[in-house]
Parts: sequence; C-alpha cells; structure tokens
Amino acid sequence: MAELTAAALDDLAIQRAKTGDLEALERVYRAYEGTVYTLARRICRTPEEAEETLQETFLEVCRSMKRFRGTGAGSLTAWIKRVAASKALIRIRYEKYRDTEQLEEESGWAGRRDGDVALQMDLESALARLSETSRAVVWLHDVEGYTHEEIAELMGKTVSFSKSQLSRAHARLRKLLGEEDRC
Amino acid sequence: MLMHCTMAELLALRDGEGSTTTRSHIAACAECSAELERLYQRTAALKALSAFSPPRDRWPPVRDALEAEQRQAQRSRLRWVGLAAAAAIVGVIGFQAIPTAAPAQDLATREVEALVEESQELEQLLASFQRPGRVVNGMTAAAVADLEDRIAAVDFGITRAQEVAVSTDAMADLWRERVVLMDRLVSTHVQQVTYVGQ
Repeated sequence: MAELTAAALDDLAIQRAKTGDLEALERVYRAYEGTVYTLARRICRTPEEAEETLQETFLEVCRSMKRFRGTGAGSLTAWIKRVAASKALIRIRYEKYRDTEQLEEESGWAGRRDGDVALQMDLESALARLSETSRAVVWLHDVEGYTHEEIAELMGKTVSFSKSQLSRAHARLRKLLGEEDRC
Repeated sequence: MLMHCTMAELLALRDGEGSTTTRSHIAACAECSAELERLYQRTAALKALSAFSPPRDRWPPVRDALEAEQRQAQRSRLRWVGLAAAAAIVGVIGFQAIPTAAPAQDLATREVEALVEESQELEQLLASFQRPGRVVNGMTAAAVADLEDRIAAVDFGITRAQEVAVSTDAMADLWRERVVLMDRLVSTHVQQVTYVGQ
C-alpha cells in the first residue's frame, strides 16, 4: 500500500513540498493519509484518536519537511511512518486508561465468554482485543517490519520488553482465534 | 516428557534467530512444526488485513494551521525589517543631528547625542534577545507589537522633524520618547526570556 501511494509522488513534488509549497504538501498528505491512518488505527484505541494522530503527524511532517534529508518516496514513506508511529505511541503512553489495559486484556473478553462455546473470532476482532501496547508491537514488528531495537527506541523501553510483548500478543491471538491451546 | 517450543522460541525461529536446538526440535516434533506453520499463517493474515480510510478529511485543519504559521512568520520578518530600518534611521539622523547644532544649544545637543547613543545601545541589546522563530506568548507578542508600532511612529516623527529643522529641544523630546519605548521593549523581551527560559 505504501509503495503504491509513494509512487504517486514524484521527486519534483517532494522537492516542492520541502519549500513549504502548500499544494505540494497536500499531495504528500493525499499520498500518505491512508497509510498513516491505518497505522494509527492499529495502534490507537479509538478511530477518533487515530484521526487526531493523523492530523498531528502531518502537522509535524509539513513543519519538518524542509529538514527531510532523504531522497525519493521510499525514504519519505519510512520517515512519515516513523513520525506516525511515534505520535500514536505517545498518545497511548499517556492516555489515562493505560493503567487499566492489563486488567482489560486479562479479564475483559474472558469474563464475557460462554465456557461451552468455542472461543473463536476473526483476526480483526482478535487484534482489537489485545492491549494497546501488545497490538502496537505486533503491528509494528510483524506488519510494518520494525526491528525490536527500533520498537524499543520508539517506545522508550527495552528490546526484551518488545520481544515479550510480541510473544504475549501472539499467544493471546492464538487463543482468541481458537487455535490449539498448547504453548 | 517432551518439552514443546515456547511462543518466544517459535517467534525467534520465524525471524531467523532460532537456536539449533529449537530447529532440531521442530524437525522432530509434528506439533511444534504445525504451531510454527500457524504462526506463519497468522503473520500473513495480519499483513493481509485491509487498510483503513480516514472518515473525515484532515487536510483543511492542517493547511489552516500551516497558513497561520506562515502568516505569523511573515509578520515576524516584517517586524525585523522595520527594526532594522529604525536602527538605520537612528544612525543616520543621529549623525546628521549632532554636528548641525548651534553652539548656544550645546546642552540640548549633548543630550540628543547621549539619547542617540543610548538608543543605539538598546537596539544592540534588543538584537541579542530577538531571533526569528523564538516562541513568545500571546500577551508578550501583543505588547511587543504595540511598542514596535509606537517606536515606528516616533521614528517617523524624527524623520519629519529633521526635514523641517525643528529645535534641538524638540528633537531631544523625540529621542527621549524613543529611548523610553526602546527600554520598555527590551524589558518586555527580558521578562519573556526570564519567564520561559529561552
């Protein structure tokens, strides 16, 4: 998806955007709004927060565009996604309900399920059941291709934390998806 | 009893970091091998999840904020140009005003000379506080803008006074007013720096 949208932006548009040209900056926005919003939706708790993250991301991107040293759409994609991930992670880090997510993950779904009914749901719903931190790590690592070192840096945590969150996320997904209970 | 792989070990294997022991176990254990396959499938399914589209266009608020910032930056640049022009006027008029004074007006002339010098010192001091892009709060910005407007008006008065050759006393009054306003402008910047630590 990112590659397709990035291809719509030529180097000239990127150079113009670097000068603060609003039309060129809008082209950058149009090329990446879906990418950024999807990333934000996967990390943030609500669609509204994802929208705010989208707006915050592009405000920063547009303000900092002149300092962007990369060449071509590929590096621009990586930079914009990094800004978006950072904004989304800051948001979940400081949300007031962060202290309750552990409880929510452990008891929220389990408390409602019928013991006789197989616990199975689609991946989209299962992903939404993860804690924000676990969901962020599994998305950034498995889908966006960030390394544990990069995730640790973005989250201000250790590499071990990132690895354990990924492991935890997959164990939880596996359970929610009704796969065999072994690991 | 056979120990199966943990999720962490399976993830390490998937990411090309698995140990030899884990690899050997996977090769021999159908259950763990199937688990690894499910992990691959789950990862592929995550990557295949559909993208979202933002429900509302968020470009207009971004554009509005950028335009407001550009206008603010432009105003700031114009103020700098205005101040630079004022500083130039201080130099030129000050230089012209002093030698043309009559001997009987020595006292007033010396006062003008001192006021011009003081004004120049305040200009230099002001320049050390001002830099483009420095954050100021709204109240300070309004106070600064007001003082700069008043200084510009005094500078205009000095220019006119020079053209019509007003008395040295009248010229001293104008320079005195300029120094007072410049002093207030510097104080405003000092307070801002002290308050926000910039």
